[in-house]
Amino acid sequence: MNRATRYLGLVLALAMAAGGCDESASPERDVGEDEPLRILSLAPNVTEILFAMGQGKRMVGRSTYCKFPPQAARLPAVGDTINMNLEKIVALKPNLALVVTKRDDVVRTLEGLGVHTVALECDTMAELYQTIDTIGRETGAMGPAMNLRDMIRDGLSAVRRRVAGRPRPKVLFAFPMTVGSAKMMVAGRGTFVDELLDVAGAENAYPEAGDWPTITPQQAVAMAPEIVIVNAVGDQAAPDRIEAIRRAWADLKGVPAVVKGRVIVLQDAYLTIPGPGVGLAAERLANVIHGLPGEPGR
Amino acid sequence: MPIRPLTFRRYLLAITGWAAVWLVVSAAAVVLGAENIWAWPSWESARTVLGLRLYAVLTASAVGAALALAGLAFQALLRNPLADPFILGVSGGASLGVVLSSLFLSVLAAPLFGFVGALLTVGVVYAVAQRRGRLEPYTLLLSGVIINAFYGAAIMLVTALIDPESRGDVAYWMMGCISTFGARWWLVGVVGGLVVAAAVLFAFLAKGFNLVAVGEDTAGALGVPVDRLRLVTFVAASLVTGASVALAGPIGFVGLICPHLLRMVLGPDHRRLVPATVFLGASLLVVADLATRLLMGLGGQAPPVGVLTAMAGGPFFIYLLRTRWRRKTEIR
Repeated sequence: MNRATRYLGLVLALAMAAGGCDESASPERDVGEDEPLRILSLAPNVTEILFAMGQGKRMVGRSTYCKFPPQAARLPAVGDTINMNLEKIVALKPNLALVVTKRDDVVRTLEGLGVHTVALECDTMAELYQTIDTIGRETGAMGPAMNLRDMIRDGLSAVRRRVAGRPRPKVLFAFPMTVGSAKMMVAGRGTFVDELLDVAGAENAYPEAGDWPTITPQQAVAMAPEIVIVNAVGDQAAPDRIEAIRRAWADLKGVPAVVKGRVIVLQDAYLTIPGPGVGLAAERLANVIHGLPGEPGR
Repeated sequence: MPIRPLTFRRYLLAITGWAAVWLVVSAAAVVLGAENIWAWPSWESARTVLGLRLYAVLTASAVGAALALAGLAFQALLRNPLADPFILGVSGGASLGVVLSSLFLSVLAAPLFGFVGALLTVGVVYAVAQRRGRLEPYTLLLSGVIINAFYGAAIMLVTALIDPESRGDVAYWMMGCISTFGARWWLVGVVGGLVVAAAVLFAFLAKGFNLVAVGEDTAGALGVPVDRLRLVTFVAASLVTGASVALAGPIGFVGLICPHLLRMVLGPDHRRLVPATVFLGASLLVVADLATRLLMGLGGQAPPVGVLTAMAGGPFFIYLLRTRWRRKTEIR
């Protein structure tokens, strides 16, 4: 719990810092019209980025999944990219929609409602930096965007320095196995979680490029990870589910991580959200991987 | 209620009356919705929402009319009161065609592949359920069940193989929804045009439907070219089903409910049933879609319209199974 509190504090501090340079930043946006910005954010990480950049107060709507920070959860929700309440969107009168999608019909539909829409991609760290830049440009808040980028860079290099020189264990970052098939999604090479593992002083046990491939337990055995990190969030975070996850992994006796008792079940949603929390995520991963102080091993 | 003879004047009057019902329902569905636009200060925004609602109403009308017409035609020609594009697996075949073409070819090809899937399925259902030139009602329904299961498995296979990001889209589409998302006016036009063409065609074939309902041998003896009638009807019903599935996904039970409600009111004469089915099918789906939009306005979330029709249609199917079907099989 104190993790979330700390993260919230960080986001709020950033937001306040950003608020300071807000006035000077506003005129940068060349929209041609003087109407105030009304932002619709359709992705949780974009919402977090907006709040971290002090733009949260300009948000008028959010997706169903944007529940952090708590101020965001109080905004009206308009659904998700599969099922959107378009009438609600028109009612909120946004003039900027930020959406993370590869589907062009989402952009076309929102543009059709007269809302300037920007499609973002956040699968890698490079794309995350680019997303922050784009949001800064679109909201006329380049200053806060640069601050946020620097903050993330600094956070990541601080973690790099802490783990420098330590052995780099093979780590498998997985979501809980699905009930029934025991398959699981893992972080493939090239995802930002893969990059966070690298920053945290580990080698991704999954050897191939790929977004979030689904693997079988046999494949997990074949990869022979020395540490397994399972992130159980949402419904999976219930105590009995976590117990079930531990038991399921304990059965995979061929995995070195199981033999050494290094299957770590975390419950941190921010680990897989490409937003302002990535520095914190890297720190968290480094702590559990290298057993650093400040955080118990499991 | 004594049924008076059908004159041309009464025919036109009936069409006008059913069209009026549809128009009233549609007007209500444009006026009402998730947001109360009439309290908005800006006419610009209200007009945008009215555009969205008009699109939804036209889509629901075209799809509802298409499915109801297909249901009526299948029930008449298969001489089975429980026939419906959804139950026979025709919608399933169309769905597989549409899913495959949208994922691997182009969305433009979806109606065509929907049609091919639907027509193939009708052929298979017919070949399987036919015995010595007769259609067994039990076999017909059972083959529909099996074919639906097969298509369900095939679509699950496709879903399992595609990338996870598209899985949600396919799963949602398979529930059947009138979506204002990514408006495709051209496809609404195609489905609407096909519906009008099929309705005119069926209106001319209605007498043949009536005679086939009495018995195929009788119809043949009275000069109805039964084989040709069957071919033309199946092709037309498959066309409208395939196109409507491409537009809105597999929406079930509209084709079952609508003709039956009308038979209760109008009797078994297909000359009366065809025009009434077009407008009632359209109206029913417009109402169902309006219900989902009102629910969305109340709770922020709403089931897709296909879920609503299936929930209403399931009990109705059981009711038919317990009453009408028994009577029908006793006659045979």
